[in-house]
Amino acid sequence: MSAEIWNLIRNEDWSLVSEVVFQSFWPTRLWDFTKHYQFIGGHGAYGVGYGAPAAVGAALANRKYGRLTVNIQSDGDLNYAPGVLWTAVHHNIPLLNVMHNNRSYHQERMYVADMAARAERDVSKVDIGNAISDPNIDYATMAKAYGMFGIGPIENPADLGPALRKAIDVVKRGEPALVDVVSEPR
Amino acid sequence: MKKLFLSAVLAAFPAIALAQNAPTGNVQTGKQLFVKHQCYYCHGTTGQGSRDGRRIAQTAMNLQGVTNYVRKPTGAMPAYTEKILSDKELTDIFAYLKSLPPAKAVKDIPLLDQIK
Repeated sequence: MSAEIWNLIRNEDWSLVSEVVFQSFWPTRLWDFTKHYQFIGGHGAYGVGYGAPAAVGAALANRKYGRLTVNIQSDGDLNYAPGVLWTAVHHNIPLLNVMHNNRSYHQERMYVADMAARAERDVSKVDIGNAISDPNIDYATMAKAYGMFGIGPIENPADLGPALRKAIDVVKRGEPALVDVVSEPR
Repeated sequence: MKKLFLSAVLAAFPAIALAQNAPTGNVQTGKQLFVKHQCYYCHGTTGQGSRDGRRIAQTAMNLQGVTNYVRKPTGAMPAYTEKILSDKELTDIFAYLKSLPPAKAVKDIPLLDQIK
């Protein structure tokens, strides 16, 4: 996913306004960061729910410079304050949201699995309360409900590049967009 | 005389004897157990590795090495004792890991090859 995004933004004036830790640091490993505004950095704590609102705020700051603002958005994080999608639409804030949709609160899930194994308890049960599935959340439809362009869920890697292109076209028109990508845990 | 010769060969090359006696696992069962026991959380669904767990597809270790590590890991991974993961299950998981394809070279992945 990080390579696909980079392929499409590398020749733009881009800005990444999300954390990279949840994608195994792939953006900072693959992308060429040369300007201070190209990376917002981490949130400084382990709270959940900061990512989406912070991305919209950063995108608003980037708007007057005409930068292509990219948010790789964790699914668990978005569920804390999804109304910020409406905020982005209402205020015409151009922002490319790419869902890193591993269908879980995965940081917590790994921690609970770790604790279960250390206590010699059944590790197979740690999805309880941590998996965000059954039903899966349709984030493209969620985006549309807030008036935002939404596409996905993308499950075939071959579909990702074309979906990102469509979303970037929307963002370049001055609007936010969301691409729901079903992903590996990390 | 033949028996004596075979014994001498096995004594000289214990790895041959070990390989012949090594239990073999079931790849499909191993795949299911890999998910059930949440190995994929850190190592990825095809053992490709991530920030939180090394690449383990086609592990270079033998079954005994994998078993030793899982029982007494040295890194951040918690120990999986026999109480929660049996030797038989581990043998199946090992078979699954060995069945996975090798990593592609960067030059064979166009998106990565263009990143210099």
